[in-house]
Amino acid sequence: MRWVWLDRIVELEKSKRLVAVRTVSWGEDVLHDHFAKEQVSDGRAVPCMPHTLVIEGMAQAAGVLAGHANDFREKVILAKIGKAMFTPDLLATPGSTLRHTATIERIDASGAATSGVVELIPPGGGADDARPFATIDLMFSHVDQNRQGLAFPEHNFVFTEQFMALLDVSGIARPVGH
Amino acid sequence: MPIEYEEAMAKVTEVLEDALGVDEDEVTPEATLGPDLGAESIDYLDIVFRLEKSFGIKIDQAELMPNEVLTDPTYVDGGKITDAGIAELKAKMPHADLSSIESSRDVDDFEKVFTVDTIVKFVQARVD
Amino acid sequence: MRFELLDEIAERSADRLVAHKHVGEADDYLRDHFPSFPILPGVMMLETLVQAARRLAADLRGVPQDAALPAMVVAEVRKVTYAAMVRPGQTLTAEVKLRKADADAGVFDFEGVGTVEGKEAVKGRFRLRAVNPSERLGQPALAEN
Repeated sequence: MRWVWLDRIVELEKSKRLVAVRTVSWGEDVLHDHFAKEQVSDGRAVPCMPHTLVIEGMAQAAGVLAGHANDFREKVILAKIGKAMFTPDLLATPGSTLRHTATIERIDASGAATSGVVELIPPGGGADDARPFATIDLMFSHVDQNRQGLAFPEHNFVFTEQFMALLDVSGIARPVGH
Repeated sequence: MPIEYEEAMAKVTEVLEDALGVDEDEVTPEATLGPDLGAESIDYLDIVFRLEKSFGIKIDQAELMPNEVLTDPTYVDGGKITDAGIAELKAKMPHADLSSIESSRDVDDFEKVFTVDTIVKFVQARVD
Repeated sequence: MRFELLDEIAERSADRLVAHKHVGEADDYLRDHFPSFPILPGVMMLETLVQAARRLAADLRGVPQDAALPAMVVAEVRKVTYAAMVRPGQTLTAEVKLRKADADAGVFDFEGVGTVEGKEAVKGRFRLRAVNPSERLGQPALAEN
Protein backbone atom coordinates (compact mmCIF):
# COMPACT_ATOMS: atom_id res chain seq x y z
CA MET A 1 0.00 0.00 0.00
CA ARG A 2 1.07 3.57 -0.54
CA TRP A 3 1.93 5.57 2.52
CA VAL A 4 0.57 9.04 1.89
CA TRP A 5 -2.78 9.18 3.68
CA LEU A 6 -3.83 12.66 2.57
CA ASP A 7 -5.31 13.71 -0.78
CA ARG A 8 -5.01 17.46 -0.48
CA ILE A 9 -4.12 20.25 1.90
CA VAL A 10 -6.99 22.74 1.85
CA GLU A 11 -5.82 25.27 4.43
CA LEU A 12 -2.37 26.15 5.73
CA GLU A 13 -1.47 28.86 8.19
CA LYS A 14 2.29 28.64 8.68
CA SER A 15 3.37 27.32 12.11
CA LYS A 16 -0.24 27.35 13.30
CA ARG A 17 -2.80 25.21 11.53
CA LEU A 18 -3.25 22.85 8.60
CA VAL A 19 -6.41 21.27 7.20
CA ALA A 20 -6.13 18.26 4.90
CA VAL A 21 -8.73 15.97 3.39
CA ARG A 22 -8.75 12.44 2.08
CA THR A 23 -11.45 10.26 0.66
CA VAL A 24 -11.66 6.63 1.73
CA SER A 25 -11.74 4.38 -1.31
CA TRP A 26 -12.50 0.78 -2.18
CA GLY A 27 -9.43 1.10 -4.36
CA GLU A 28 -7.25 0.73 -1.27
CA ASP A 29 -6.10 -2.78 -0.56
CA VAL A 30 -6.29 -2.32 3.17
CA LEU A 31 -10.09 -2.06 3.16
CA HIS A 32 -10.32 -5.55 1.67
CA ASP A 33 -8.51 -6.98 4.69
CA HIS A 34 -10.12 -4.64 7.21
CA PHE A 35 -12.58 -6.13 7.66
CA ALA A 36 -13.05 -9.21 5.51
CA LYS A 37 -16.22 -11.28 5.77
CA GLU A 38 -14.60 -13.94 7.97
CA GLN A 39 -13.98 -11.29 10.60
CA VAL A 40 -17.55 -10.09 10.99
CA SER A 41 -20.23 -11.88 12.98
CA ASP A 42 -22.85 -11.93 10.21
CA GLY A 43 -20.34 -13.15 7.62
CA ARG A 44 -20.39 -10.01 5.48
CA ALA A 45 -17.43 -7.65 5.11
CA VAL A 46 -17.24 -4.28 6.91
CA PRO A 47 -14.71 -2.28 4.89
CA CYS A 48 -13.43 0.67 6.92
CA MET A 49 -10.22 2.60 7.52
CA PRO A 50 -8.21 1.14 10.39
CA HIS A 51 -8.18 3.73 13.15
CA THR A 52 -4.41 3.39 13.39
CA LEU A 53 -4.23 4.69 9.81
CA VAL A 54 -6.59 7.54 10.71
CA ILE A 55 -3.99 8.41 13.36
CA GLU A 56 -1.34 8.22 10.60
CA GLY A 57 -3.38 10.66 8.49
CA MET A 58 -3.33 13.10 11.39
CA ALA A 59 0.38 12.44 11.96
CA GLN A 60 1.02 13.37 8.31
CA ALA A 61 -1.13 16.51 8.50
CA ALA A 62 0.52 17.59 11.76
CA GLY A 63 3.97 16.45 10.57
CA VAL A 64 3.74 18.48 7.36
CA LEU A 65 2.56 21.49 9.41
CA ALA A 66 5.51 21.10 11.80
CA GLY A 67 7.96 20.52 8.92
CA HIS A 68 6.65 23.48 6.95
CA ALA A 69 7.20 25.73 10.00
CA ASN A 70 10.96 25.26 9.49
CA ASP A 71 10.85 25.05 5.68
CA PHE A 72 11.32 21.26 5.91
CA ARG A 73 14.84 21.56 7.28
CA GLU A 74 14.07 19.34 10.29
CA LYS A 75 13.50 15.60 10.18
CA VAL A 76 10.15 15.43 11.94
CA ILE A 77 9.47 12.01 13.47
CA LEU A 78 6.42 10.85 15.45
CA ALA A 79 7.53 10.39 19.06
CA LYS A 80 4.27 10.06 20.99
CA ILE A 81 0.56 9.60 20.50
CA GLY A 82 -0.61 11.46 23.57
CA LYS A 83 -4.29 10.81 23.45
CA ALA A 84 -6.58 9.70 20.67
CA MET A 85 -10.32 9.35 21.16
CA PHE A 86 -12.68 7.99 18.51
CA THR A 87 -16.43 8.62 18.36
CA PRO A 88 -18.26 5.39 19.20
CA ASP A 89 -20.30 3.67 16.47
CA LEU A 90 -18.69 5.60 13.63
CA LEU A 91 -16.51 4.02 10.93
CA ALA A 92 -14.80 5.52 7.89
CA THR A 93 -16.42 3.38 5.19
CA PRO A 94 -15.67 3.72 1.43
CA GLY A 95 -16.82 7.06 0.03
CA SER A 96 -16.35 8.87 3.35
CA THR A 97 -14.16 11.94 3.46
CA LEU A 98 -11.89 12.52 6.43
CA ARG A 99 -11.03 16.11 7.23
CA HIS A 100 -7.97 16.50 9.48
CA THR A 101 -7.36 19.79 11.26
CA ALA A 102 -3.95 19.89 12.93
CA THR A 103 -2.94 22.72 15.26
CA ILE A 104 0.52 23.38 16.66
CA GLU A 105 0.41 23.74 20.44
CA ARG A 106 4.11 24.30 20.77
CA ILE A 107 7.17 24.06 18.55
CA ASP A 108 10.81 24.55 19.48
CA ALA A 109 14.24 23.24 18.60
CA SER A 110 13.57 19.79 20.05
CA GLY A 111 10.24 19.14 18.35
CA ALA A 112 6.54 19.93 18.23
CA ALA A 113 3.34 19.18 20.13
CA THR A 114 0.12 19.22 18.14
CA SER A 115 -3.57 18.77 18.75
CA GLY A 116 -5.89 17.51 16.07
CA VAL A 117 -9.51 16.98 15.16
CA VAL A 118 -10.72 14.55 12.49
CA GLU A 119 -14.20 15.00 11.05
CA LEU A 120 -15.99 12.46 8.92
CA ILE A 121 -18.12 13.59 6.00
CA PRO A 122 -20.33 10.65 5.06
CA PRO A 123 -20.51 9.31 1.50
CA GLY A 124 -22.32 11.79 -0.70
CA GLY A 125 -22.44 14.36 2.09
CA GLY A 126 -21.18 17.92 2.12
CA ALA A 127 -19.24 19.99 4.62
CA ASP A 128 -22.45 20.57 6.61
CA ASP A 129 -22.75 16.86 7.22
CA ALA A 130 -19.34 16.60 8.91
CA ARG A 131 -19.41 14.70 12.19
CA PRO A 132 -16.68 14.67 14.84
CA PHE A 133 -14.76 11.42 14.35
CA ALA A 134 -11.60 11.66 16.44
CA THR A 135 -9.38 13.92 18.51
CA ILE A 136 -5.68 13.10 18.30
CA ASP A 137 -2.83 14.75 20.26
CA LEU A 138 0.67 14.02 18.99
CA MET A 139 4.29 14.86 19.72
CA PHE A 140 7.12 14.93 17.22
CA SER A 141 10.88 14.97 17.63
CA HIS A 142 13.35 16.76 15.42
CA VAL A 143 15.71 13.81 15.21
CA ASP A 144 18.94 15.70 14.63
CA GLN A 145 18.30 17.57 17.86
CA ASN A 146 17.34 14.58 19.98
CA ARG A 147 18.82 11.40 18.62
CA GLN A 148 22.35 12.14 17.67
CA GLY A 149 24.29 8.93 17.62
CA LEU A 150 21.39 6.93 16.23
CA ALA A 151 21.83 5.86 12.66
CA PHE A 152 19.76 8.53 10.95
CA PRO A 153 20.91 9.66 7.52
CA GLU A 154 22.14 13.18 6.98
CA HIS A 155 19.63 14.10 4.30
CA ASN A 156 15.99 14.78 5.10
CA PHE A 157 14.52 11.34 4.39
CA VAL A 158 11.17 12.23 6.01
CA PHE A 159 9.82 14.80 3.59
CA THR A 160 9.88 12.71 0.47
CA GLU A 161 9.01 13.64 -3.08
CA GLN A 162 5.51 12.35 -2.35
CA PHE A 163 5.00 15.03 0.28
CA MET A 164 6.39 17.66 -2.04
CA ALA A 165 3.92 16.47 -4.70
CA LEU A 166 1.17 16.84 -2.09
CA LEU A 167 2.22 20.50 -1.68
CA ASP A 168 2.17 20.86 -5.48
CA VAL A 169 -1.38 19.56 -5.92
CA SER A 170 -2.48 21.73 -2.99
CA GLY A 171 -1.08 24.87 -4.61
CA ILE A 172 1.51 25.38 -1.87
CA ALA A 173 4.98 26.51 -2.92
CA ARG A 174 7.78 24.03 -2.29
CA PRO A 175 10.44 25.39 0.04
CA VAL A 176 13.70 26.44 -1.53
CA GLY A 177 15.94 23.44 -2.13
CA HIS A 178 13.11 20.89 -2.47
CA MET B 1 -2.34 34.91 43.66
CA PRO B 2 -1.42 31.77 45.65
CA ILE B 3 -2.99 28.49 44.72
CA GLU B 4 -4.14 25.99 47.35
CA TYR B 5 -2.53 22.54 47.37
CA GLU B 6 -5.82 20.77 46.62
CA GLU B 7 -6.57 22.99 43.64
CA ALA B 8 -3.06 22.61 42.24
CA MET B 9 -3.22 18.84 42.85
CA ALA B 10 -6.51 18.60 40.93
CA LYS B 11 -5.04 20.41 37.92
CA VAL B 12 -1.78 18.44 38.04
CA THR B 13 -3.83 15.23 38.17
CA GLU B 14 -5.66 16.26 35.02
CA VAL B 15 -2.36 17.08 33.30
CA LEU B 16 -0.87 13.71 34.24
CA GLU B 17 -3.98 11.79 33.16
CA ASP B 18 -3.68 13.37 29.70
CA ALA B 19 0.10 13.25 29.36
CA LEU B 20 0.65 9.77 30.78
CA GLY B 21 -2.63 8.03 29.97
CA VAL B 22 -3.04 6.99 33.60
CA ASP B 23 -6.27 6.78 35.57
CA GLU B 24 -7.23 9.47 38.07
CA ASP B 25 -6.95 7.05 41.01
CA GLU B 26 -3.33 6.24 40.11
CA VAL B 27 -2.30 9.87 40.60
CA THR B 28 -1.57 10.21 44.31
CA PRO B 29 0.86 12.73 45.85
CA GLU B 30 3.28 9.91 46.69
CA ALA B 31 3.24 8.35 43.19
CA THR B 32 6.58 8.58 41.42
CA LEU B 33 6.46 9.82 37.84
CA GLY B 34 8.75 7.19 36.37
CA PRO B 35 8.34 3.93 38.30
CA ASP B 36 4.66 4.34 39.30
CA LEU B 37 3.16 6.35 36.43
CA GLY B 38 5.41 5.17 33.61
CA ALA B 39 6.73 8.57 32.51
CA GLU B 40 9.44 8.49 29.84
CA SER B 41 11.66 11.29 28.59
CA ILE B 42 9.25 12.54 25.88
CA ASP B 43 6.50 12.63 28.55
CA TYR B 44 8.33 15.21 30.67
CA LEU B 45 8.25 17.61 27.72
CA ASP B 46 4.53 16.92 27.31
CA ILE B 47 3.93 17.47 31.05
CA VAL B 48 5.76 20.80 30.87
CA PHE B 49 3.60 21.94 27.89
CA ARG B 50 0.41 20.95 29.67
CA LEU B 51 1.39 22.53 33.00
CA GLU B 52 2.19 25.78 31.20
CA LYS B 53 -1.21 25.74 29.52
CA SER B 54 -3.15 24.69 32.60
CA PHE B 55 -1.52 27.14 35.04
CA GLY B 56 -0.67 29.96 32.62
CA ILE B 57 3.03 29.91 33.54
CA LYS B 58 6.30 29.44 31.64
CA ILE B 59 8.47 26.50 32.66
CA ASP B 60 11.90 25.43 31.52
CA GLN B 61 12.03 21.63 31.57
CA ALA B 62 15.38 21.71 33.38
CA GLU B 63 13.80 23.70 36.22
CA LEU B 64 11.09 21.13 36.81
CA MET B 65 13.38 18.14 36.54
CA PRO B 66 17.08 18.97 36.70
CA ASN B 67 18.22 15.80 34.94
CA GLU B 68 21.33 17.49 33.62
CA VAL B 69 22.77 17.44 37.15
CA LEU B 70 22.90 13.64 36.88
CA THR B 71 25.08 13.68 33.77
CA ASP B 72 27.46 16.36 35.01
CA PRO B 73 30.80 14.88 36.17
CA THR B 74 31.01 17.68 38.77
CA TYR B 75 28.01 16.19 40.53
CA VAL B 76 28.24 12.48 39.79
CA ASP B 77 31.17 10.16 40.29
CA GLY B 78 30.94 6.49 39.30
CA GLY B 79 27.13 6.43 39.37
CA LYS B 80 27.05 8.06 42.82
CA ILE B 81 25.88 11.58 43.46
CA THR B 82 28.55 13.68 45.17
CA ASP B 83 28.01 16.13 48.05
CA ALA B 84 28.10 18.94 45.52
CA GLY B 85 25.49 17.07 43.46
CA ILE B 86 23.16 16.73 46.44
CA ALA B 87 23.59 20.42 47.22
CA GLU B 88 22.80 21.29 43.60
CA LEU B 89 19.69 19.11 43.55
CA LYS B 90 18.50 20.65 46.83
CA ALA B 91 18.99 24.12 45.38
CA LYS B 92 17.15 23.25 42.18
CA MET B 93 14.39 21.19 43.79
CA PRO B 94 13.65 22.97 47.07
CA HIS B 95 10.27 21.26 47.37
CA ALA B 96 11.33 17.68 46.82
CA ASP B 97 12.02 15.18 49.58
CA LEU B 98 15.53 14.09 48.69
CA SER B 99 16.25 12.10 51.86
CA SER B 100 16.30 8.66 50.21
CA ILE B 101 18.66 9.71 47.43
CA GLU B 102 20.79 11.54 49.99
CA SER B 103 21.44 8.28 51.80
CA SER B 104 21.77 5.94 48.80
CA ARG B 105 23.51 8.48 46.51
CA ASP B 106 22.49 6.25 43.62
CA VAL B 107 21.76 8.06 40.32
CA ASP B 108 19.19 5.40 39.49
CA ASP B 109 17.23 6.34 42.62
CA PHE B 110 16.62 9.86 41.35
CA GLU B 111 13.38 8.90 39.67
CA LYS B 112 12.11 7.59 43.01
CA VAL B 113 12.23 11.04 44.57
CA PHE B 114 10.42 12.73 41.69
CA THR B 115 6.80 12.44 42.78
CA VAL B 116 3.45 14.03 41.96
CA ASP B 117 3.85 16.02 45.19
CA THR B 118 7.13 17.47 43.80
CA ILE B 119 5.26 18.82 40.78
CA VAL B 120 2.38 20.23 42.81
CA LYS B 121 4.75 22.13 45.13
CA PHE B 122 6.83 23.31 42.17
CA VAL B 123 3.74 24.71 40.48
CA GLN B 124 2.50 26.30 43.73
CA ALA B 125 5.82 28.09 44.10
CA ARG B 126 5.71 29.29 40.51
CA VAL B 127 2.14 30.53 40.58
CA ASP B 128 2.70 32.63 43.74
CA MET C 1 -1.11 -6.04 0.58
CA ARG C 2 -1.79 -7.94 3.75
CA PHE C 3 -3.12 -6.09 6.72
CA GLU C 4 -2.75 -9.20 8.84
CA LEU C 5 0.50 -8.36 10.57
CA LEU C 6 1.11 -11.17 13.04
CA ASP C 7 3.47 -13.89 11.82
CA GLU C 8 3.24 -16.12 14.87
CA ILE C 9 1.91 -16.30 18.38
CA ALA C 10 4.79 -17.06 20.74
CA GLU C 11 3.02 -17.16 24.11
CA ARG C 12 -0.53 -16.92 25.32
CA SER C 13 -2.33 -17.02 28.65
CA ALA C 14 -5.67 -15.77 29.94
CA ASP C 15 -4.59 -12.16 30.13
CA ARG C 16 -1.36 -11.94 28.15
CA LEU C 17 -0.21 -12.68 24.62
CA VAL C 18 3.10 -12.39 22.81
CA ALA C 19 3.28 -12.28 19.01
CA HIS C 20 5.98 -11.71 16.42
CA LYS C 21 5.91 -9.57 13.35
CA HIS C 22 8.76 -9.99 10.90
CA VAL C 23 9.43 -6.83 8.95
CA GLY C 24 10.33 -7.48 5.36
CA GLU C 25 9.33 -7.70 1.72
CA ALA C 26 5.61 -8.12 2.47
CA ASP C 27 5.61 -4.67 4.03
CA ASP C 28 5.46 -2.84 0.72
CA TYR C 29 4.65 0.52 2.39
CA LEU C 30 8.26 0.64 3.58
CA ARG C 31 9.07 1.71 0.02
CA ASP C 32 7.27 4.98 0.82
CA HIS C 33 8.31 5.17 4.49
CA PHE C 34 10.91 6.13 3.62
CA PRO C 35 12.35 5.58 0.12
CA SER C 36 15.93 6.19 1.24
CA PHE C 37 15.52 4.99 4.83
CA PRO C 38 12.92 2.23 5.35
CA ILE C 39 11.59 2.03 8.92
CA LEU C 40 8.37 0.55 10.24
CA PRO C 41 5.88 3.43 10.64
CA GLY C 42 5.03 4.14 14.27
CA VAL C 43 1.33 3.52 13.70
CA MET C 44 2.14 0.08 12.25
CA MET C 45 3.95 -0.74 15.50
CA LEU C 46 0.72 0.27 17.25
CA GLU C 47 -1.34 -1.76 14.76
CA THR C 48 0.83 -4.80 15.57
CA LEU C 49 -0.03 -4.35 19.26
CA VAL C 50 -3.69 -3.87 18.30
CA GLN C 51 -3.76 -7.13 16.34
CA ALA C 52 -2.07 -9.01 19.18
CA ALA C 53 -4.73 -7.54 21.49
CA ARG C 54 -7.50 -8.61 19.08
CA ARG C 55 -6.07 -12.13 19.18
CA LEU C 56 -6.13 -12.05 22.99
CA ALA C 57 -9.69 -10.67 23.04
CA ALA C 58 -10.70 -13.41 20.59
CA ASP C 59 -9.24 -16.04 22.92
CA LEU C 60 -11.25 -14.55 25.79
CA ARG C 61 -14.41 -14.82 23.73
CA GLY C 62 -13.66 -18.44 22.87
CA VAL C 63 -13.00 -17.79 19.17
CA PRO C 64 -11.05 -20.76 17.72
CA GLN C 65 -7.36 -20.06 17.36
CA ASP C 66 -7.31 -20.76 13.64
CA ALA C 67 -10.28 -18.48 12.96
CA ALA C 68 -9.88 -14.98 11.49
CA LEU C 69 -9.43 -12.15 13.97
CA PRO C 70 -12.86 -10.72 14.81
CA ALA C 71 -13.36 -7.12 13.71
CA MET C 72 -12.34 -4.61 16.39
CA VAL C 73 -11.13 -1.04 16.14
CA VAL C 74 -9.22 1.32 18.41
CA ALA C 75 -11.67 3.33 20.51
CA GLU C 76 -9.02 5.20 22.50
CA VAL C 77 -5.27 5.53 22.70
CA ARG C 78 -4.27 6.66 26.17
CA LYS C 79 -0.57 7.02 25.47
CA VAL C 80 1.84 5.48 23.01
CA THR C 81 5.53 6.37 23.00
CA TYR C 82 8.29 5.39 20.60
CA ALA C 83 11.83 4.64 21.64
CA ALA C 84 13.56 2.76 18.81
CA MET C 85 13.30 2.12 15.09
CA VAL C 86 12.32 -1.19 13.50
CA ARG C 87 14.06 -1.86 10.20
CA PRO C 88 13.58 -4.45 7.43
CA GLY C 89 14.96 -7.84 8.48
CA GLN C 90 14.12 -7.23 12.14
CA THR C 91 11.30 -8.72 14.20
CA LEU C 92 8.93 -6.73 16.35
CA THR C 93 7.86 -8.73 19.40
CA ALA C 94 4.50 -7.48 20.61
CA GLU C 95 3.45 -8.26 24.17
CA VAL C 96 -0.04 -7.24 25.25
CA LYS C 97 -1.74 -7.55 28.61
CA LEU C 98 -5.40 -7.20 29.34
CA ARG C 99 -6.17 -4.44 31.84
CA LYS C 100 -9.97 -4.47 31.84
CA ALA C 101 -12.64 -6.33 29.93
CA ASP C 102 -16.31 -5.68 29.43
CA ALA C 103 -17.09 -8.60 27.14
CA ASP C 104 -20.83 -7.78 27.00
CA ALA C 105 -20.10 -4.28 25.72
CA GLY C 106 -17.28 -5.62 23.52
CA VAL C 107 -14.81 -3.18 25.09
CA PHE C 108 -11.32 -4.22 26.18
CA ASP C 109 -8.45 -2.19 27.66
CA PHE C 110 -4.86 -3.25 27.05
CA GLU C 111 -1.32 -2.25 27.69
CA GLY C 112 1.32 -3.30 25.26
CA VAL C 113 5.01 -3.12 24.60
CA GLY C 114 6.87 -3.85 21.39
CA THR C 115 10.53 -4.77 21.46
CA VAL C 116 13.12 -5.26 18.77
CA GLU C 117 16.28 -7.21 19.57
CA GLY C 118 15.46 -6.82 23.25
CA LYS C 119 15.09 -3.05 23.07
CA GLU C 120 11.82 -1.27 23.66
CA ALA C 121 10.49 0.26 20.43
CA VAL C 122 6.91 1.11 21.37
CA LYS C 123 4.83 1.11 24.52
CA GLY C 124 1.31 2.18 25.28
CA ARG C 125 -2.21 1.77 26.56
CA PHE C 126 -5.26 1.54 24.34
CA ARG C 127 -8.90 0.48 24.25
CA LEU C 128 -10.46 -1.67 21.54
CA ARG C 129 -14.13 -2.07 20.75
CA ALA C 130 -15.92 -4.73 18.76
CA VAL C 131 -17.35 -3.70 15.38
CA ASN C 132 -21.06 -4.25 14.96
CA PRO C 133 -22.17 -5.44 11.47
CA SER C 134 -24.77 -2.65 11.32
CA GLU C 135 -21.91 -0.15 11.27
CA ARG C 136 -21.06 -1.09 7.69
CA LEU C 137 -23.70 1.38 6.60
CA GLY C 138 -21.59 4.11 8.15
CA GLN C 139 -24.21 6.76 8.57
CA PRO C 140 -27.53 5.63 10.00
CA ALA C 141 -29.23 8.89 9.07
CA LEU C 142 -28.16 8.72 5.42
CA ALA C 143 -28.85 5.03 5.14
CA GLU C 144 -32.57 5.76 5.54
CA ASN C 145 -32.61 8.21 2.63
